Amino acid sequence: MAGPAHAEARLLSRILRVGLTIAVLGQIAWSFRPGPSAAQPEFEAEGRALYEANCSTCHALGATGTPNGPSLLDSGPAAVDFMLRTGRMPLANPADQPERGQPKFTPAQIDALVAYVSSIAPGGLPIPTVDASQGDLALGARVFLDNCAACHGAGASGDSVGGGQIAPSLYEADPTVIGEAVRIGPGLMPTFGPGTIDQAELDSLAAYLLWLRDNGDEGGLQLGRAGAVAEGFIAIVVGLGILILVLRLTGAKR
Amino acid sequence: MKRSERLVALAFVVAIISALALFAVYVRGGNPQAEGALLALALGGVGAGLLLWATRLMPQIRDETQPRTQATPATDADREAAAETVEAGVEEIRRRRFLARLLLGAAGALGLAALIPIRSLGRSPGDSLLRTKWTAGARLVTADGTPVTTSTLEVGSFVTVFPEGFEGSADSQAVLVSVEPGLLHLPPEWSDGAPPGLVAYSKLCTHAGCPVGLYLAATHELRCPCHQSTFDVLNGARPVYGPAPRPLPQLPIEVGDDDVLRATGEFTGPVGPSFWELA
Amino acid sequence: MIVRRLVDGVDERLDASSFIKHNLRKVFPDHWSFMLGELALYSFAMLLLTGIFLSLFFVASPAETIYQGPYAPMQGREVSLAYESVLRLSFEVRAGLVMRQTHHWAALVFVASMTAHLVRVFFTGAFRRPRELSWIIGVTLLVAGIGAGFTGYSLPDDLLSGTGLRIIDSAVLSIPVAGTWLAYLFFGGEFPAPELLSRLFVMHIFLIPAVITGLLSVHLALVWRQTHTQFRPKGTLEGTVTGTPVWPKFALKSVGLAFMTFAVLAGLGGLVQINPVWLYGPFVPYGALSPAQPDFYAGWLEGILRLWPNWELHLFGHTIGNLFLPAVVLPGIIFTGLALWPFIEARATGDTAVHHDAQRPRDEPVRSGIGAAGIAFFVSLMLAGSNDVLAKFLQVEVDSLNGVLRVLVFLMPAITGVVVWWLCRDLGARDAAPIARPARSEIRRNAAGGFDEVEDL
Repeated sequence: MAGPAHAEARLLSRILRVGLTIAVLGQIAWSFRPGPSAAQPEFEAEGRALYEANCSTCHALGATGTPNGPSLLDSGPAAVDFMLRTGRMPLANPADQPERGQPKFTPAQIDALVAYVSSIAPGGLPIPTVDASQGDLALGARVFLDNCAACHGAGASGDSVGGGQIAPSLYEADPTVIGEAVRIGPGLMPTFGPGTIDQAELDSLAAYLLWLRDNGDEGGLQLGRAGAVAEGFIAIVVGLGILILVLRLTGAKR
Repeated sequence: MKRSERLVALAFVVAIISALALFAVYVRGGNPQAEGALLALALGGVGAGLLLWATRLMPQIRDETQPRTQATPATDADREAAAETVEAGVEEIRRRRFLARLLLGAAGALGLAALIPIRSLGRSPGDSLLRTKWTAGARLVTADGTPVTTSTLEVGSFVTVFPEGFEGSADSQAVLVSVEPGLLHLPPEWSDGAPPGLVAYSKLCTHAGCPVGLYLAATHELRCPCHQSTFDVLNGARPVYGPAPRPLPQLPIEVGDDDVLRATGEFTGPVGPSFWELA
Repeated sequence: MIVRRLVDGVDERLDASSFIKHNLRKVFPDHWSFMLGELALYSFAMLLLTGIFLSLFFVASPAETIYQGPYAPMQGREVSLAYESVLRLSFEVRAGLVMRQTHHWAALVFVASMTAHLVRVFFTGAFRRPRELSWIIGVTLLVAGIGAGFTGYSLPDDLLSGTGLRIIDSAVLSIPVAGTWLAYLFFGGEFPAPELLSRLFVMHIFLIPAVITGLLSVHLALVWRQTHTQFRPKGTLEGTVTGTPVWPKFALKSVGLAFMTFAVLAGLGGLVQINPVWLYGPFVPYGALSPAQPDFYAGWLEGILRLWPNWELHLFGHTIGNLFLPAVVLPGIIFTGLALWPFIEARATGDTAVHHDAQRPRDEPVRSGIGAAGIAFFVSLMLAGSNDVLAKFLQVEVDSLNGVLRVLVFLMPAITGVVVWWLCRDLGARDAAPIARPARSEIRRNAAGGFDEVEDL
């Protein structure tokens, strides 16, 4: 078609396209807005002080890294929060493997540090929101068995994976920490983005892991969920052991 | 004596009470731990009582000594007679040489025929161990059938994939890994089969066939949980540790027009553990 | 009196009163280590009892269904009828879980006690002429027990046992010339074939128990007929046996022992969780989990596979797969050697006499050294098979642990063998020439001021 009707249609379509683009870009930009707490200057100052006192020796003042510690420029809030919340960081000795332990900072201090690092090293994955109450146990079990059980053990009690590391037990992780680990892949762990574990699956995974802490052991003592190795040990030492004791008590010794 | 009697009595009483309690637990819905504990007490009570009775309440029953062989031992004459009896029967058959040979032949032939049901137990392997369900153009999908695109994975991620329509297939299972572009050092003849930063290998371990389900992302190694065979993803999944003798065969893939990943053909080698017919 | 009427009735029908009189008076030596075989026997009885119950619920079918039972994490999941029946047995059938777990614990204790019994017979030389057949039957029973266990725990069709089946299939595939045919014929086709589950079921509830029951009966009949070996008490003649009469004392003790065995197994069955298949999920051929071990009696095989180098032989267009030597040839040599041991030892020592006396380990230092080395070998292999669990427990790197284990697997048997051999020789020498007890004497002052020695006290 030709003429004024055509020109009008084209203008309308152009306005729509531009509007849509602005809306989408705006959404994306909006999602990267800094958290409300970071707006307070005292908060950032605290974060900065903590960073300089505890982190800068290995990660450098500008988070650019040193031979003792990697650059944090691409880490993102999720990674920083994960490391601090699980007590893996700060590391007393740079040669040590990071291991789960008591967090060295209070939650408020951790928030301050996360905010500060984000301000000097923006970008990277944000802290995921994980709501275990929205999760479905059956979906969570499925996701766990398909993706996690090979390294962390079928009962989530952890296992050696080689490369000098042990995939840890997952009983102490809260849903946010679970989400962070899944998305950032700390240590030797691979990452699982929304393409492999989407939000519903992540919520369900968290729900299942929380459930596993106190459930799943209808059969009795769970022997660290170490499987046939522990069962064999008990069968020989306890089962056969008690019976041999009975034999010794009732049979002749000569 | 008195004390032992009381112990035996106590053991039996414990058994009775536990067995009755077991009934109560059962009627009220049952509980494995209670059931096991009470069963142990009930059975153990009877057992302990019997053992105490036998070892402490029968002192008058002493050990006795007996000869080991009861009947009078066989003399040479007896053995001779036995051998002759057997021999006589065998000789009857041996006498008729021709018929005995035919009997042997019949037994042999029937014996061979008896192997027939064994052949019926399964189909011939044929070349099924050398083929999977992958064909050129087959789309890669996850276990639930979702097509895999270039945005499914990020760097450091991996996922189990199948040819579309054969989700869950045992021999076609493959693992798609996303690595930093430029790090892959595949054999020249197969480097076309991996879009930048993406490579797919068979998930069946070449050692004993377990799915290679661990991915150590930082060192780009796929590892098998069964016997710890470790494969270097950047170098054609060649084995770098453990008992696996061959690399994981690569699945050559390309990015289709719709951004969905497709196979361009079969795996670069037979999947799974080795067998005689493998060249 | 009832007993008299009973005996009369039996004798009338079976002409058995002299048989009864004779056999109830038979004596059996009472040494505690001679009861280890009974532990195996009663564990087997427990397996039969609990097994019958389980077989009334288990569905040996790989056909898929949707799980709708009370175990929430499997709700809506596609599982086989077999897996579903095991979950139903565990969570919906009253006393189902305790029966299932007791059955599995009984299987482990069955193989463990057979092994203990085998070790006892070995170290006391009770396998020597005329008891070689009993020994061969015993080794066969051990292998059958391992087979029963493996087929049994593969029945629930869960991810862990299915992975184990895959490994066995691969081991069969590695056999030269006939491997692929054997695997396809006996497993029903390319893994996982639909026929596999029901074949395992038939093996587990019928074929193997029939073999065990038959062989066990012959084994017991032989012991009865040949009489049990014993450490010959001082003052008794060769060719005699001293012990407790079967009726009533020995029988009562045996029944008591049976109940104690049942008690321990039932206690474990209710109080200690074993094989929680609901945590492993149903078998899917692309699923992987850890820790991935078979039951302990196959742990030594797992260890061999984890430690074995990645060798493979290619010749003239064919391949002898990596698994053939460690998974087929080596176990074959081990068990054949074990079964033929009475003849190997007789040839090596030149001793073909009939023996009814049990020896003490110290009387045969070489045999005891070899036996101890064998035990150390198996223990090292079992440690190797659990290397990832062990590494996590010890907080060490698993690949380094493997390196250590590769050395230990040779070093431990060698050291243990030599040490035990030396100890036996030393103990034996001490028995032959015991250190004389010190003599005591008193010295008393006499009236004259000298010293007199009073006689030895």
